[in-house]
Amino acid sequence: MQIDRIDSLPTEDIGGFRIRPGKPLPFGVSHVPNGLNFSVYTSSGVGCTLVLFNRGEEKPFAELPFPDSYRIGDVFCMVVFGLNYEDLEYGFRIEGPFKPESGHRHDPTKILMDPYARLISGRDVWGEMPDWQNSYPYRARVSFDDFDWEGERPLEIPPEDLIIYEAHVRSFTQSSTSGVKHPGTYAGLVEKIPYLQNLGINAIELMPIYEFDEFENTRIHPETSERLYNYWGYSTVGFFAPKASFAATGRYGMQVDEFKQLVKSFHKAGIEVILDVVFNHTAEGNEQGPTLSFKGLDNKTYYMLTPEGYYFNFSGTGNTLNCNNPVVRALVLDCLRYWAAEYHIDGFRFDLASILGRDPWGAPLSNPPLLESLAFDPILSSCKLIAEAWDAGGLYQVGTFPAFGRWGEWNGKYRDCLRRYLKGDSGMVGELAQRVQGSPDLYQANGRSPATSINFITCHDGFTLADLVSFNDKHNEANGEGNRDGGNDNYSWNCGVEGWSEDPEIQRLRQRQSINALAMLLTCRGTPMLLMGDEIGRSQLGNNNAYCIDSAVSWLDWTLLKTNVNLHHVTAGLVHFRHQHPALRVNSFDGQSSSLLPSCSFHGTKPWTPDWSSESRQLAWMMSVDIKQTKASEQKGEEVDIIYVATNMAHYASWFEIPEAPKGYSWILYFNTGDQKEQYYQKGVLLADSGLLVGERSIVILCASATGTGLP
Amino acid sequence: MNLAIESVSNDSYHLLVLEGDIDTKTAPELFEALNQLELASIGDLRIDMNSVGFMSSAGLRALLFAKQKMSNLNRLILIGANNEIIEVITKTGLSDAVMLVTSHDEI
Repeated sequence: MQIDRIDSLPTEDIGGFRIRPGKPLPFGVSHVPNGLNFSVYTSSGVGCTLVLFNRGEEKPFAELPFPDSYRIGDVFCMVVFGLNYEDLEYGFRIEGPFKPESGHRHDPTKILMDPYARLISGRDVWGEMPDWQNSYPYRARVSFDDFDWEGERPLEIPPEDLIIYEAHVRSFTQSSTSGVKHPGTYAGLVEKIPYLQNLGINAIELMPIYEFDEFENTRIHPETSERLYNYWGYSTVGFFAPKASFAATGRYGMQVDEFKQLVKSFHKAGIEVILDVVFNHTAEGNEQGPTLSFKGLDNKTYYMLTPEGYYFNFSGTGNTLNCNNPVVRALVLDCLRYWAAEYHIDGFRFDLASILGRDPWGAPLSNPPLLESLAFDPILSSCKLIAEAWDAGGLYQVGTFPAFGRWGEWNGKYRDCLRRYLKGDSGMVGELAQRVQGSPDLYQANGRSPATSINFITCHDGFTLADLVSFNDKHNEANGEGNRDGGNDNYSWNCGVEGWSEDPEIQRLRQRQSINALAMLLTCRGTPMLLMGDEIGRSQLGNNNAYCIDSAVSWLDWTLLKTNVNLHHVTAGLVHFRHQHPALRVNSFDGQSSSLLPSCSFHGTKPWTPDWSSESRQLAWMMSVDIKQTKASEQKGEEVDIIYVATNMAHYASWFEIPEAPKGYSWILYFNTGDQKEQYYQKGVLLADSGLLVGERSIVILCASATGTGLP
Repeated sequence: MNLAIESVSNDSYHLLVLEGDIDTKTAPELFEALNQLELASIGDLRIDMNSVGFMSSAGLRALLFAKQKMSNLNRLILIGANNEIIEVITKTGLSDAVMLVTSHDEI
């Protein structure tokens, strides 16, 4: 006979609800036999009440004050028995001082969301106008961790082998041209997995999917009357909950399962899932912002405050999360562990990560405890950790981000250098040589590797690739801020006319420049990242900061796949070429030669003699690595993978002498962006001469083959 | 709306015929009906959904519960579920665990 555990039975009764003292950990709500354990932290609150609602109802059906004896340290904890947790919504009221000058903002009239809520209701359907009078707008619910993974686990692809694709869940399929059944949702994204497989990327980085409120700071455009949203979602409401309205099943509260199904489907397709996470600030804003959770629970712990009790604003969005306070640090760690363990997430990209390295008064720390904890965490040990290594408070740490041997970085210097070289700026070839190798000038001295560098030319912030070659200046009028928002240092070139042009010459040049950018991105060492839609020429009409636009400006137009079929074809070709050639993915700076050639060498129009002068706009690089002997390579007789890339960003064509191929090898041409008819020779073309003409603003890519023929 | 559950057993499979809505209030009844079966040894479990209008997440969890108790050799088969229910099952990944058919003939 099995005897029930004593702690599965209540000890007391309040207002008809059976309860017993709870366990302080884990925080949030957890399932215990016959009941639910509620645990919440507040160091300055003196009393706590659990508020219980039936789903969607305006008034709570119960308010249960935690008995004094249910407080352990700064944690209130209680088990409540017999609740119908399928339909349950819960929150807390905290009693305590309201003294902003001392940092305290307790207000027991407010119902506060559990910061550990794993399921949140209130914004279940995208764009559905909320009830602004609701006393509890974002409601914590109880989730079930019973998804059937069928043995699925994270892929653990080595970082140097990744090709990342940055995408916004809604923008990717919201357009009716996407043809998916559930546009703008996780389920819609899953339907497009075959497209992404065909393109060849092996990691998708999703812009924020933590619950956020698209109606936060919602505005009407002063001239167009268009509604402007918090569209990108860089403002978190709940760190543990997937955004409900990105789920086709959000109205049923099934977003947890739908998102897990997304991860499982991507993994089955060999694609990792990386989340863009925003821990630098929350949706509660500053003094004027709403009190939703942290502010009323323990303002002084969770936020960085000035001595007068105002909010520090290193994020540029009102408040700054106090990440190096031990309690907040534990929350961040708990959160990431939860996503890694429960959702099988492969990696995280940290928005404005430099903030995470500031002390509670804002000063940069040399050994930030949070970054160290994340780097050495046992549960996160195989997750990619990627920093956006700057913040809005002026801290720029590309190359100096405290990495603990683990962190990768969005390499902003790579972006700027490649853009300037692409548009033909002088004085760029020296820096370009560094970027091509994975930026040893930034990462080698402190023992980091090329894959530390997330190489990108475009990302959600700034111009899309099509706009980068079509606009000299940003055109952000649609954002309703008089074109003052968004960066001005775009390093873009419009190829002769600002914006759309009918001129076939200009159109051809733009397409060539787009392919040039992608060709360089995919032949540099480091980890390349593509922006959603760049492979088919997605434009935002010159808007370089479309954070508030929920319209066709942001949505991917899938008809571009037909319009720009060649761009897509060549991009996919470049992606596959990178996967096939380990020489491009070497993840060390130690300069070890392959058995035939240096690991990476630079050249000009003459082999081994690059022109480093400031007026030079031409650089070629050759990369090689010994191939691990596999059956296939033995049969072909190849030992070394050798790639040669010649870039000519000058306005005239030049004859490039190619370095002599090692004995037994011959050069095969795979890409020539200057060829008007065909830029990608899938089977390769044997190079008959000792050199070739590289057209103006063009790139050629060759591979040395031992068989004298193209690919097997 | 209430949920009526009819339970029929034969040699090769067990059949539950459901009629009504499976929501928070009625899902425990389905749970109970499933719990009464010797799930580990009954063979295939067929659930006739032709007369079910709505199924909430609680209903899906009851199905998941049944599938986890059943032997891997046997199938959990939903017959005649409406489109809305099929959608939710597909989007949340439960379709990997259950077989969806429109009639007994398809099995």
